[in-house]
Amino acid sequence: MGGAAMNADVTFLADTALAIVRAVPVTLGLFVASAIGASLLGGGLVAALTAGLAPVRGIARGWIFLFRGTPLLLQIFMVYYGLAALGPVRQGPFWPAFRDPLFCAGLAMTCCCSAYIAEVLRGALAAIPAGQIEAALACGMGRVTRLRLIVLPQMLRLALPAYGNELVMMVKSTSLASTITVLDVTGVAQQVIAHSYRTLDVFCLAAGVYLGLTGALTALLRWAERRLDPTVSDGAGEGASR
Amino acid sequence: MSEQDLPAFALLGFGTDGWGRVLVLGAVLTLALSLASMTIGSVLGALLAWARGSRRGWLARLATAYGVIMRGVPELLVVLLLYFGAPGLMAAVAGLFGLPAPGSPPAFLTGSLAIGLVSAAYQAEVFRGGLLAVPKGQVEAALAAGMGPWLRFRRIVLPQVLHHVLPPLGNVWQFNLKDSALVAITGLAELMRVSLVAAGSTRRPFLFFAAAMVLYLALTSLSSAVFRRIEARGSQWAGRR
Amino acid sequence: MTDAIPVLRATGIEKSFGGRKVLKGIDLDAAKGEVISILGGSGSGKSTFLRCLNLLEMPDVGEISIAGTPAPLVRDRHGALRVSDARALGSMRARTAMVFQGFNLWSHMRVIDNVIAAPVHVHGMAREEAVERAHALLERVGMGGFAQHWPRQLSGGQQQRVAIARALATDPELMLFDEPTSALDPERVREVLDLMRSLAAEGRTMLVVTHEMAFARDVSTRVVHVREGRIESMGPPAQMFGPDASPAFRAFLSA
Repeated sequence: MGGAAMNADVTFLADTALAIVRAVPVTLGLFVASAIGASLLGGGLVAALTAGLAPVRGIARGWIFLFRGTPLLLQIFMVYYGLAALGPVRQGPFWPAFRDPLFCAGLAMTCCCSAYIAEVLRGALAAIPAGQIEAALACGMGRVTRLRLIVLPQMLRLALPAYGNELVMMVKSTSLASTITVLDVTGVAQQVIAHSYRTLDVFCLAAGVYLGLTGALTALLRWAERRLDPTVSDGAGEGASR
Repeated sequence: MSEQDLPAFALLGFGTDGWGRVLVLGAVLTLALSLASMTIGSVLGALLAWARGSRRGWLARLATAYGVIMRGVPELLVVLLLYFGAPGLMAAVAGLFGLPAPGSPPAFLTGSLAIGLVSAAYQAEVFRGGLLAVPKGQVEAALAAGMGPWLRFRRIVLPQVLHHVLPPLGNVWQFNLKDSALVAITGLAELMRVSLVAAGSTRRPFLFFAAAMVLYLALTSLSSAVFRRIEARGSQWAGRR
Repeated sequence: MTDAIPVLRATGIEKSFGGRKVLKGIDLDAAKGEVISILGGSGSGKSTFLRCLNLLEMPDVGEISIAGTPAPLVRDRHGALRVSDARALGSMRARTAMVFQGFNLWSHMRVIDNVIAAPVHVHGMAREEAVERAHALLERVGMGGFAQHWPRQLSGGQQQRVAIARALATDPELMLFDEPTSALDPERVREVLDLMRSLAAEGRTMLVVTHEMAFARDVSTRVVHVREGRIESMGPPAQMFGPDASPAFRAFLSA
């Protein structure tokens, strides 16, 4: 009898693991899409923050204030339920998209994380040593050349550690999509629990999947940091006179 | 008159049709929940930071593993685990002592514990960074002056650590405040939950989510003002010394 | 004919920082091949003056021209100077070069890329040619074997020699040195000074803000003493370091 129970246990865990792993593409897709969106939008926000026009700077500042000052969960509900209640959204051309919970979760995450990424990039921009820019000015580089050759590469290198932290946060944030019926890793785990009333083992499986994802991402970021840090890199090799 | 036709100010007001009182009470509960979880996180975080620097290898590894897991798993999952798992856990513990199952613990307790457990992992990092930021010479000077370990900690190490940890602690607090919204899924009537209830029963989700956003913005910007105040005071005090 | 036009002409340069007047009207000409050492106590305004010459610092009042071309400056309605033409400013800076106290090598580029950046991206030189010239210049400053190194792998003296190679890469008409040896360990100062000596012997036009009295005395064609935002005295080193020097300069030297 004990053997049969153990067997059922193993079958249950295997089935659950399979169901959860099947949901990984949803979690990963949501992460990748909103990471790309948030990075682009965050870059745009930094450009706006450094713009000459005061209203443009004001809009960027307001955006960052709003999305950093409120919970992502509330933002997701606002996009999925709040906007759907508005006439113009219901009658607008994007209504099919706004009915899709996955799209709404991605949109909310993009907006929210763009604010955090903008802060990271702004910090990195401010951290570029003044002498690096002065050397570029002194040899007559124009605005575009300076941006492309000096400012952007230095900014990206300085931003990478904090940017990496934001990405890890984003992987974890994808779980909030489950609250608006998206069947991602957390959503599937909750579904299984609702059917089986087995909490601990199912959550541990889901947690393991997230740990795997965040761990892999962290390792990838470490590797990128090492590649970008010239002091760790070897002295000679490719690179120079491309 | 159906609630759908009421003007926004009446719905958000403090009159008989208004949800104002409920929303404000929700905000107060959010604040209380965040304070409770921050406190839990501080105590556990300090212990973890101490354990990380411990000479006992297994203890340091345990603390490191705790940090890796808590910072690598979604906060929502931790909240759900405690919410669904706590009754079973309590029944099991009670069973060990031959007692009847005590039922579900209060949602405030499980909620603040869940957010506090996550907060602890981040606060441990902050405290550890603060400890490492105290220059070795400061401790050596205290040793040379013949100070004992407790005096050394209280008079030399602690003031300097506080100086370093306040800004990042302010950051953790902000995340705590926003993470507390996750406890809404357990039914606790904090700000996120009451705005959901109000949105559902009036069918005016945009209005109530916007109202909740304003209240959250008030909480986050108010607390960042408080932290700035404390930081300014701290550095002034450091300057006078 | 062109030799009659000074490489640098600066007239009436004034500059204030937050109400404190740092430069109170400085005039200075530099003829081709001149090596001018600018000396003065800390806070005398000598570095600010040098940084005004390529407009890293915007003067409040004054005119600057490089080899006869005036700096593109106009007065706005409040009377303050501002750049009238960013492109012209770029080409003015492209004709000069600056060597900084803190080297300011671009930390994300290898040595060779630091040296070819301005020739390729500002002057539009072909990359192959720029690389070839850069190798010759690195050889010239004694850094031939370091083309593929990163700046942070080099000592201060080595970084400054690379910075000088970078400055030479565009064959500038005027070289500005802003305390080039002040951030170096004492034993590294010589390798940089020797290099600057050889540049002077080559006939380069150089403006050098420095604390190195020996360099000022032995290498420069003219010594300028800046005190409280004005040129207190100037002249050939023989005069400045001789018995007829101004009392203020003698006081500075003995301080």
